[in-house]
Amino acid sequence: MSADPLQALANAGQGKSTRSLLRVIILALIAAAAIASRLFSVIRFESIIHEFDPWFNFRATKYLVANGFYNFWDWFDDRTWHPLGRVTGGTLYPGLMVTSGVIYHALRALTIPVDIRNICVLLAPAFSGLTAIAAYLLTNEMTPSSSAGLLAALFMGIAPGYISRSVAGSYDNEAIAIFLLVFTFYLWIKALKQGSMLWGALCALFYGYMVASWGGYAFITCLLPLHAFVLICMGRYSTRLYVAYTTWYALGTLASMQIPFVGFLPVKTSEHMPALGIFGFLQLLAFLDYVRSAIPSRQFQTFLWLFAGGTFGVGLLGLVIATSAGIIAPWGGRFYSLWDTNYAKIHIPIIASVSEHQPTAWPAFFFDLNMLIWLFPVGVYLCFQELADEHVFIVVYALFGSYFAGVMVRLMLTLTPVVCVAAAIAVSTILDTYLSTKSPKPEESQAAEGSEGKKAGKSGLKAASKPVVGIYGLWGKSMMVSALAVYLLLFVLHCTWVTSNAYSSPSVVLASRLPDGSQHIIDDYREAYQWLRQNTREDAKIMSWWDYGYQIGGMADRPTLVDNNTWNNTHIATVGKAMSSSEEVSYPIMRQHEVDYVLVVFGGLLGYSGDDINKFLWMVRIAEGIWPDEVSERSFFTPRGEYRVDGEATETMKNSLMYKMSYYNYNNLFPPGQAVDRMRNARLPEVGPTLSTLEEAFTSENWIIRIYKVKDLDNIGRDHAAAAAFDRGTKKKKAIKKRGPRSLRVD
Amino acid sequence: MRSLFSFLAFLSAAVVSALSTSGNRLLVVLEDVAEKENYSKFLGDLEGRGFELSFENPKSESLALFHLGERTYDHIIFFPTKAKGLGPNLTPNILVDFMNAKGNVLVTLSSGVATPNSLVSLLSELDIQLPADRTGLVVDHFNYDASTAAETHDVLLLPPPGPVRPDVKNFFGAGAGKDEVLAFPRGVGAALGSSELLTPVLRAPRTAYSYNPKEQAEVVDDLFGAGEQLALVSAFQARNSARFTLVGSAEMLQDKWFDAEASKVGGKKAAKTFNREFAKRVSGWTFNEIGVLRVNWIEHHLDEAVAVNESNPSIYRIKNDVKYTISLSEYAWTSWAPLTLPADDVLQLEFSMLSPFHRLPLHLDAAHSSATESAYSTSFKLPDQHGIFNFKVNYKRPFLSNIEEKNTVSVRHMAHDEWPRSFVISGAWPWIAGIGVTVAGWLAFCALWMYSAPVGGKRVESKKTQ
Repeated sequence: MSADPLQALANAGQGKSTRSLLRVIILALIAAAAIASRLFSVIRFESIIHEFDPWFNFRATKYLVANGFYNFWDWFDDRTWHPLGRVTGGTLYPGLMVTSGVIYHALRALTIPVDIRNICVLLAPAFSGLTAIAAYLLTNEMTPSSSAGLLAALFMGIAPGYISRSVAGSYDNEAIAIFLLVFTFYLWIKALKQGSMLWGALCALFYGYMVASWGGYAFITCLLPLHAFVLICMGRYSTRLYVAYTTWYALGTLASMQIPFVGFLPVKTSEHMPALGIFGFLQLLAFLDYVRSAIPSRQFQTFLWLFAGGTFGVGLLGLVIATSAGIIAPWGGRFYSLWDTNYAKIHIPIIASVSEHQPTAWPAFFFDLNMLIWLFPVGVYLCFQELADEHVFIVVYALFGSYFAGVMVRLMLTLTPVVCVAAAIAVSTILDTYLSTKSPKPEESQAAEGSEGKKAGKSGLKAASKPVVGIYGLWGKSMMVSALAVYLLLFVLHCTWVTSNAYSSPSVVLASRLPDGSQHIIDDYREAYQWLRQNTREDAKIMSWWDYGYQIGGMADRPTLVDNNTWNNTHIATVGKAMSSSEEVSYPIMRQHEVDYVLVVFGGLLGYSGDDINKFLWMVRIAEGIWPDEVSERSFFTPRGEYRVDGEATETMKNSLMYKMSYYNYNNLFPPGQAVDRMRNARLPEVGPTLSTLEEAFTSENWIIRIYKVKDLDNIGRDHAAAAAFDRGTKKKKAIKKRGPRSLRVD
Repeated sequence: MRSLFSFLAFLSAAVVSALSTSGNRLLVVLEDVAEKENYSKFLGDLEGRGFELSFENPKSESLALFHLGERTYDHIIFFPTKAKGLGPNLTPNILVDFMNAKGNVLVTLSSGVATPNSLVSLLSELDIQLPADRTGLVVDHFNYDASTAAETHDVLLLPPPGPVRPDVKNFFGAGAGKDEVLAFPRGVGAALGSSELLTPVLRAPRTAYSYNPKEQAEVVDDLFGAGEQLALVSAFQARNSARFTLVGSAEMLQDKWFDAEASKVGGKKAAKTFNREFAKRVSGWTFNEIGVLRVNWIEHHLDEAVAVNESNPSIYRIKNDVKYTISLSEYAWTSWAPLTLPADDVLQLEFSMLSPFHRLPLHLDAAHSSATESAYSTSFKLPDQHGIFNFKVNYKRPFLSNIEEKNTVSVRHMAHDEWPRSFVISGAWPWIAGIGVTVAGWLAFCALWMYSAPVGGKRVESKKTQ
């Protein structure tokens, strides 16, 4: 390999304009790659909205597009949470829907008619391209090397930790929120570095957008004050910090209070108090700064102590009084569960029942971030090396983000950006060191040694005090570079593999493999929802466990009792009670709530693990939380403490509505006595359960969805068990006659 | 307007075809066609009222209550049959289905003939118990007809029945002469369960009891029932207002007891029987000729001064003033008349979500009433609670067909622009003033800052001296 072509290549990239052109092209390619890798699900399946929450967002977007912004803002949704209804316009984060609506109307104004569904499906990939660019900008603030920014953009574009929430069809708040998160951080760093009110105001603007989009905005609300606080503690208080922070806080808080769902929370709840506290603290510091310049230092010393102590005491007292008087809401359950991962399990089953609120298992880190997870500490270490204000931010963010990602699976998402940035800094440093073809000349290195040595003497770490001497051998360089290149290639392979295998399933449609290797689509969900849409009255109320509420609302367009917006625990517990009690107890509950159909998910035939029998204990637990006397988790376990569904299941279990609905008529599929639940590997009793208050209305092809119709009161006044026995012709006639003394009629 | 036309069309159709509100196809189940001579006056009265009678033997092959899922008859009368069962076309399940399809049934019993199994099962589904061995005889040693049952005491002479409750209209005994009596010859008494759908029309007198003449001729050891616990004629109305009547004595419908004379034991002179009129009323009630209520229309709207006042909107706002009106008619033999409530009864409206938020009496609204309908209305303020509410009128009285009307409306929250503006609220004035003062102060400060001359290098100097 001669030096000439290399030199020519290096010269080609020397010109400033060529470089920026290349940068733009590379960024555009990265954005395109980010979008492309998220399209697996569209290619494999179809352009369809995924999972649960996206269905609500999609429905809300359709409402927004159809009825306009003001109707959306004041939307009272009478098709969920029957009969309570939901003040939907005031209890959602409208950012996502408004973004899609704006894009929709903009495209129509450009005479490009696009179905709103396609906009919703492709919104997340489009924003992931923007996120990659935002990551580039943020990283560029950290290091002068622009290759770090490009690497960060690339990592951000394809890291599975972010792809998990932003594949095409995953139309959820996170789709745009991560872009806003990264971009707000970029603007914050910009504002902090320049002490610019303009950048601070821009930061507040995007913070406001973020608040409008995702409940995770609290992460920014806590992280920026923390950063400011750490800077102050490091003795780095400056007017730049003052200007940036106060501009952001004042404008950002005002902006966030415009969202009805947030309302007065920023001045009322404990989660927002750190930001307010730091705001006040900065005013004090500014004041002290002024005082210090005005009075002699000795007086200032005593003044400072008295003043600081007094203010702190008064502030603390005020906070305690306000909290105990109920003016400031105490910390919420979700907040406690962030510190004690067992808190939710004990106190708030409804939070613990959501799988994405579980603590993260350690392989998930490697699965979602691959090599970034070990490059991440290197990047953080390199930030320590420089430790300017913006590097402190990365360090604080890294600590904060790592902790929360460990507590909740879902918060892996907020960790991913900082991992990408830190890893990009690490990789680019390595590449910058090893990729330069120039061998340092001895005298240069001598000089460098001298200057480096002085500098290193100051920093405390022993390893860091070694002077950088440079790499001379081309062999060593190429070894290192090629190893890194292999890692990067493997990373791309891993990301593509994870995206394709783990995160591209719509979960509305299940895919399986036939013995010959061809793909088989299991489409029971849509089959059942379509049945509901076509065969039931428009206002037929469907009772199901809350997981399916959004899907029923979105796909079947029927009112539901509870849905994934779990705002009313009692209402959910009511449904849990109806599911876990016997028919005699459930029927009045269903009558009172005007339930017409009950929908259950049953995986016994197919071996589908996400079915209602597996979720059943959560229903029992949640119901027990409200009615401890009537529902007891213990009675669903056998005396030996097993959760069984076969012949040895407890009586409570066998009589529960959920069990009956799941296994009703199931044994007719099998030869007598051979009914088997393939999910739980249990042999079922020969005689299946009987239902008297419900009748089977629909069962999907693979028995995943079963729908039952709630019978009306018996026309001639019998109870349902008697009426059902009469219809079956199994009523015992003798039993009526000899029932002891007849009760006399009184009227 | 369209509803008015259809209503008129319906009215004229009803006048032309039958006088019952639910069709005129009447099936009479008899064992022997010759038997019908005994009931010629009763059946003649029915025909005179517009019913088309078909006579069938219970065992007949051609007998079918349903054809292609539709009822083939509107009403059925069962006269006593000697057969133990009623054959495969009149099983209790079919009869229950018939009632579920709003068919009406009149069953007559006789102590001389064992009741068919099919009817016993049906009765037990309706919570009516007959004596064991499917037969029994009601006797009364104090209230019998001295002329025909001087020995057996099994022809009961009873006063025509009064109202069941003070607040219920007396459909069956009203207008009877003081000396008229109701003859109940050789009948079966039934014991009624506590089902709220059952109402006794005619109870046995306090001194009557039921026994089995074949087995208990010597001594009555196991008494089936006595006194007022024995219902001689009972009425059952299903939730869908299908009606079922049990007449304990078929003989009381026979010609010989219509317009006959009876002499009550101890009575001075012979009394006229009330049977014909009673039979007319019982059959008329069963076959939906009296006591039928109809909801003509329901209307609710905003009771506020608004530009567009939509009728029956599907959504209201919390604390709206709302007016609700329901129009009801009652059918009496030949025509629809306004429903008039008994003196101590009220029609109530519930506004409920899970449980009632309001339960209000509805008042007669003369402006919307006419000769054939009466409108009841009330105005109220909606509760301060958003949700999906029902306007519910639930009017169920003995012998009147059930009214259970539910109109669902959503009650939404206040929209963002429906609150009073801040300058209207006097409590907000200090804050508005505060904003004004701040703005003015800021401007004043800016002006002061810009137009005051800088102090010059003074401060720098003072710093230096320190």
